[in-house]
Parts: sequence; C-alpha cells; structure tokens
Amino acid sequence: MLRFLVTRLASACFAALLSSFVVFLLMRAVPGDIVAQMLGQSGSDRAAEQALRGFFGLDQPIHRQFLDWLGQVVQGDLGRSWYQGKRVTLLIADAFGVTFEVATATLLLATLIGVPLGVIAGIYEGTRLDAAIQAFNLVGLSAPVFWVGLMLLVGASAFLAWSPPFAYASPSEDLGDNIAIVVLPVLSLALLQAAAYSHFVRDCMIGELRRDYVKAAIAKGLSPAQIYFKHALRNILIPLVTFMGLILIQILGGTVVIESLFSLPGLGRLILSGIQGRDYPVVQGALLFVVLVAILINFTVDLLYGMIDPRLRP
Amino acid sequence: MIGAATWRAMLGATPLQALSAALLAIFAVLVAVPELIAPQSPLAIDLSRALEPPSSAHWFGTDDVGRDLFARVIHATRITLGLVAGALLLAAVLGASLGLVAGFAGGAVDLVAGRLVDVVLTFPPIIAGVVITGILGPGAGNLVLALAIVYTPLFFRIARSGALAESRRSYVEAARALGFGEVSILLRQVTPNVLPLVMLQYVVLFPLALQIEAALGFLGLGVAPPTPDWGSILEQGKNFILVAWWISLWPGLFLLASAFAVMVFGRVLQRRLGVA
Repeated sequence: MLRFLVTRLASACFAALLSSFVVFLLMRAVPGDIVAQMLGQSGSDRAAEQALRGFFGLDQPIHRQFLDWLGQVVQGDLGRSWYQGKRVTLLIADAFGVTFEVATATLLLATLIGVPLGVIAGIYEGTRLDAAIQAFNLVGLSAPVFWVGLMLLVGASAFLAWSPPFAYASPSEDLGDNIAIVVLPVLSLALLQAAAYSHFVRDCMIGELRRDYVKAAIAKGLSPAQIYFKHALRNILIPLVTFMGLILIQILGGTVVIESLFSLPGLGRLILSGIQGRDYPVVQGALLFVVLVAILINFTVDLLYGMIDPRLRP
Repeated sequence: MIGAATWRAMLGATPLQALSAALLAIFAVLVAVPELIAPQSPLAIDLSRALEPPSSAHWFGTDDVGRDLFARVIHATRITLGLVAGALLLAAVLGASLGLVAGFAGGAVDLVAGRLVDVVLTFPPIIAGVVITGILGPGAGNLVLALAIVYTPLFFRIARSGALAESRRSYVEAARALGFGEVSILLRQVTPNVLPLVMLQYVVLFPLALQIEAALGFLGLGVAPPTPDWGSILEQGKNFILVAWWISLWPGLFLLASAFAVMVFGRVLQRRLGVA
C-alpha cells in the first residue's frame, strides 16, 4: 500500500512537471507575447522591443527560461505578475480563497442532496420514485452549469426581485454580501454534482443490495433499515470516497466557467485573465497550483481508503 | 395478462428512452435540413427589431442586433453538434490507434504514450480546454483541436486496456502459432474486438464534450461571433440576461435536450454491451 502510494505520487508529480513544461512551450510557441501586446501594432521600435524582451527574460532560450522558473518554484517562489507586479503566490492565495469557499460549499450541498437521493433511488429501484430521481439525475447531468446559473439569475430577478451584488466581498469584509454573491454559483454547480452523486450512489446501492450477504441478512431477520444503512451503505463508502475526489476535481474545473459568469475573483478568472494578457508567470503558477491540488485530492482519497477499509492498510 | 409494464419491457423502452429516441430523431432532422425548419436567415441583422421577446413572428425572440433567434438556434444545431462529433472522432481515431498499439505491443511505446496521456489528464478537462483555446486563440479549428486533445487520453485508455486484455486471450496465441504476423493479428483480430468499446466510449463522452464545447463558447473561446453556435449565443445573451432572458433560454434548452438524449442512448448501449 505504502509503495503504491509513493509510486503514484511520484508519477503524478512527474506528470505535473511535464505538463508545466508543455504549457510553458505552448505559450511561447504562439505569436503575440506580452511585449507585442504592450507595444501594440505600432511597435516598430526595435530597441524598445529588445529591452522589454530582456526585461522579461524572453530573450533567453526556452529551456533556460524553464529551468530558471523551475529553480524558483522549488524554492516556493512563483515569480511576479507581469501586469500587476504582485507576487504570483499571493495572487493565487487570494483567488484560491474564493474558489475554495465555492468548492467546499458546493461539495457539501451536492453530498447532502445527492447521496440521500441515490440511496433512496437504489432502495426503491424500479418504482416511480426511482424513475423521478433518475429523471432529475439525467436533467442535472445534461444542463450546462453556466446556463443553470443564467436561469437562476433570471428566476431570482423575476420571482424574488433579487439580484446578487456586483462586487465581490470576502466573508471577513461583509458576510451577508459574501453569501449573497456565492449562493447562485454554488447552487448552479451543486445541481450538476448532486445529480452525478445521486446517479453514482444509486448504481452502487443497487449492486450492493443484490449481493449474497444481503440475502443472508434478510434471512437472518435483520430489519431493512439495518441492512440498508449498517451494511449496504457502509460497503459503498469506498467507491463513494473515490467519487468524492472526482467530484471535487470536477468542481474545481466548473468554477472556471461559473466564476466568469458571476464575476468571482477566483482561480478560474486568474487563469483566464492571465492567458488573455499573456501573463506567463500567473498562468504557469496558477496551473501548477491546480494540478497540485488535483494530485493532493487523489492522494487523500488513496489515504482514506486505508482508513475506511482495514484490509487495504499497509 | 400482459400489462403496460410488460409491453414496455418487450419494446425495451422506458418513457425516458422513448423521449430520448424522439429527441435524437428531431436533432437528426435539424442537423440535416435546418433551412426547412427555420427558413429565416440566422445572420440577417435588423436593428429596428432588436431584443424583441418571443412572438408569432419571431418564435424565440430576437437578439441585440435583431437577428431571429429561432433561426440562429436551429442553424446552430449542425455547427455545435458537428464540431463536437468531429472533434471526438479525431480523438477516437488518434486515441484508439495509439491505445491499440500501446496495449498490444507494450514496452517502450506503452510507456511513452502513457506518460503523454498522463500530462493531459493532470488537468480537469475544462481547464485543459481553456488553456489550449486561450493560448491558440478562439475559432472553430482551435476549438476542435482543443476538444480532440482533451478527449484523446480517454479513448487511449479504453483502447489500451481492451487491447491488453485481448492480447492475452488464446485466440491471439493460436494466430501466432499459425504464423500470422503481429500487425495482422492486431488489425484483423484484436481491433475488431476492441472497436465496440471505443464506439461506446464515443457515445458516453459525447454529452461531456458537448458541455465543454458550450462552456468554451460561453467564455468567448469558441466559434467566432456571427456563426450561430449554442455556446456563443449564450455568451452573447449573458450581457442581456436581465433584459432579454430569451437569448439565453433557448440555446441552453437545446444543449440540455441533446446532451440528455445522447446520455440516455449511451446508457442503453452500455446495458446492451454488458459494461454497465
């Protein structure tokens, strides 16, 4: 188990390193870097162009630039934004605070809605209730997240005469405003993920209830509640935890779109604006961060396995 | 005693499946002959009729430059679904060929291809899509490329594990003993056995790729503006959401309906092939 964890972590880190390099190459391979953007179309001033390239280190060969960047990263320094001059680590910390809030609230809400729905659908397989829950799942999985967000905006404005504040406020600045601004993004993301959860849990539950030990438990005279919650639910915990990791990574991706819709200054917006402005240090830093978070989530999932199922302990 | 439930079971169709089949038929018509359903031009601008709500003249209303939304959404069907279908086909051909070779041959090919695939899979799909289209710039070509890159690894994995499993079966051994070449065994024996898995993967991934396509369009990273595309229309509608909700409503509903139809179809296929 331990060896497995270490190998997985090592191969994930190798992939992260390689993907950083690919992003690095890709950004520098396309025409139109920050210097071209700064000088605009009129930029025929060769000397100024040279000087700026030198300033940003863009006159160095690519492998040199990458190694320099990597050397800094190893020391925990992601450089400074070329536009704002702020440390990339600070920009990421601020942005991640926003994304983290949305992601955890979404995960919580999706779990609270999705898991019970899935369990109920699984227990009542083949009934109308199951069909209704399945229909909900399919619609939730098919509806584009940002469209749900748009429709929630319309609905809130038309039926509640309410719309979220325009400017983002952190929970410490103004808790009321903060909740008001994250509630719609969280709801839109949670619909999809609750449907995904429910769909998954239903399949697990049905599979579990068909196993022999359930028949034995029925024969033994255990009450349905004991069978469902003490036996079946306990056995689907492992796939559930894996799935939770997947969902969390999905939510992380989903925030990119939803943050742009609701003007939340989170990680997704940081990446998007960084790419548009060719702010290489920001893009590289933020992407590396996202990849590391995904690796960390997967690693945690692997660790949790051991805690839930003693058979998998080292 | 044959009740309604038995009939349904015999026809193999639940209400959801019947709905999905009907939707698939409708979308097939919209893709084939959009101009018959919506004869109006999806591009004609009429500023005097900007932002009109749905009416008998404009069933879905008009957008901010007075284009007929019914025509735009109907004509977008072919473009949006076509782009996704094309991108996934590219990913399927590339990923499956690589995966078949990697799974069957193993060794260095498998190792190198596996690491390349891991690189793409380190990112959540939407983020990989944003990075690729963001860096390369918007446009249909880059959108297809981005979707193809994002989904190639998933076809690779399916084809690789399929080929790996098949390569250990006794018919492969028998073919070797009979003196067939490795290439011939891979192409004539292994590939036909793995292909159904790849096709199933195509159907399963379609609704997901559709969501990513729409999201990229919504972020302004998709098809260039005047061309009708569901995601791009949604991007345009975003700015008028509180004054003209109808711009955003319809393309979203069409996205939902098509993703739903393909998803249900995929589940039926999964059950038929016994992989669910």
